[in-house]
Amino acid sequence: MATVSERRITTQRSRPGRALAGFAGEAVIWAFLIIMALIEFAPISWMFSTSLRDPSRSFDLPPDFWPTAFNIGNYWTVITSPDIDFLLFFWNSLKIALIVTVAQLITCSMAAFAFARLRFRGRDAFFFVFLASMMVPWTVIMVPTFIVIRNLGLSNTHWALILPALTSAFGVFLLRQQFLTLPAELMDAAKIDGASYFRIYWQVMLPLVGPGLSALGIFTFLGSWNNFLGPLLYLRDWDKFTFPIAIIQLEGYMGMGNRAHVLAGIMISIFPVLLFFLFAQRFVIQGIAMTGLKG
Amino acid sequence: MQTSVSSGMTQTQSTKRRGRSAGLQSREALAGYAFILPALLTLTIFLILPILASAVLIFMEYDILSPAKWVGLANLKRLVSDNRMLLIYRNTLVFVVGATFLNNIGGLMLAMGVNRAMPGVLRYLLRTAIFFPVLTTTASLALVWQFLLTQDRGVINYLLSQIGVDPVPWLSSSTWALRSVILYDVWKSLGFLMVLYLAGLQGIPESLYEAARIDGANRWQLTRYVTLPLITPTAFFAIVISLIGAGQVFDNAFVLTGGGPGDASRLIVLYIYEVGFKRFEMGYAAALSLTLFAILIALTMLQFVMARRWVHYE
Repeated sequence: MATVSERRITTQRSRPGRALAGFAGEAVIWAFLIIMALIEFAPISWMFSTSLRDPSRSFDLPPDFWPTAFNIGNYWTVITSPDIDFLLFFWNSLKIALIVTVAQLITCSMAAFAFARLRFRGRDAFFFVFLASMMVPWTVIMVPTFIVIRNLGLSNTHWALILPALTSAFGVFLLRQQFLTLPAELMDAAKIDGASYFRIYWQVMLPLVGPGLSALGIFTFLGSWNNFLGPLLYLRDWDKFTFPIAIIQLEGYMGMGNRAHVLAGIMISIFPVLLFFLFAQRFVIQGIAMTGLKG
Repeated sequence: MQTSVSSGMTQTQSTKRRGRSAGLQSREALAGYAFILPALLTLTIFLILPILASAVLIFMEYDILSPAKWVGLANLKRLVSDNRMLLIYRNTLVFVVGATFLNNIGGLMLAMGVNRAMPGVLRYLLRTAIFFPVLTTTASLALVWQFLLTQDRGVINYLLSQIGVDPVPWLSSSTWALRSVILYDVWKSLGFLMVLYLAGLQGIPESLYEAARIDGANRWQLTRYVTLPLITPTAFFAIVISLIGAGQVFDNAFVLTGGGPGDASRLIVLYIYEVGFKRFEMGYAAALSLTLFAILIALTMLQFVMARRWVHYE
């Protein structure tokens, strides 16, 4: 690789001294890239290799950044532990994330379609309400939201995490921008064919905003899967816990002595997401690019 | 965006001109309301209602168990004399500025590095390794970093000792705790910023680089006069969302240091959490939230004002 860049430099600059300086600059850039990639990845590979070690050896130094043992026992212990129902945490996290994701894809795309393509009294005023609500971060209203949810009798239920996340103003905004890029003739043609508004939305328009839907879906799922403060505020019973909060409790419960078990638990909780990313990296990257450019 | 809105309007006007009856128009309106109803209902109950409740709550004393009591301006007066809040805002400021600066500079540098000519496999590996932490759970990985940063027999201090650096009290000293929280945040979010800047870099038309090269620009001049000016819209967006995000950070500090030692790494949302959900002073917690909201809005507006000086739109 270095040879390619080196050649480019030397063709650009004739004097050997300059070429040498260019080569040094090139080396610095590559060192920076490689060191940063190692720093970013090393904690994850350390966690993986330590989770595969015998618990008594999880404090060993020098540390292993590459698996030297394949002791699946830690994973087995965590999954089958009679005190901690890890599969239940998995199910709780998955259930909430899936419901929230599907719900947001539906509610956001419906509202976005109406804001982009239907005409009705007060449309712009309603859209302004959605835009303005994007300015209010969740943490700023977590205290009154808690009181609302408590008064609805939803505290210590999964509804406390699901209901407020059924829609997102950001998702409406993102998808509205997508609907606006579609040609207006599509809508006219479908109307002339006598299609109902619901059919136009569902069968004509929705299939054409796939990239926006996949971006929103990925962000929503990740946000819910990794949510920590929400479950911390609302969930009190072990059997209702989601992964992130269960793991923090697990650490306190098992104590520092069982570091390997805690790390195995974390590996199990992030594994589905990492696996998904390896296959769907393109969509994740596209999604971030889309929100960045549209914002 | 503006043009698309008007084209949507002229389209419906043209259907009216085509002689559609008023009945169809109102059916369109009805459909419109039906389509926004689920989102609007959710937003009303879980966003607008809490905002309104918040406006009342700041004048109340409410501990959830006993009925709320009107206390007038007491909560707001208390804000003025809350020295602990000042210290915590100072921490928050250090965190926000430090994390935003490092994330954006680092993200941009990594993006420029990864964007250069290299084999596809290598680019994929670098990008994947740097992006991985973004996908992981903030709270859980903070636990991993707590293991790594332990002062005695911690991995980081061990590695440092190999190059002759004395053990650093990463989490237990009041000078280092906040820095550790910042470093963890940078580790966690750098990949996100890199991808954002990468998208911005790839949006710069290649023709501009060619034109500059024909004019005899060297690589430094290409970066200085083409890349940097044209990345400013991306940078503006990235900095605004970094600031807003950093101002609201909770998981990092809560798990990594718990805000300690003392209040050395306590950030404002941790304080709101403590006042509201540990001490159950809901009224005062709402008042604290209001200050955070005001600061975030002010910061964002300041960004938009300053943007005129440094953001270049084509």
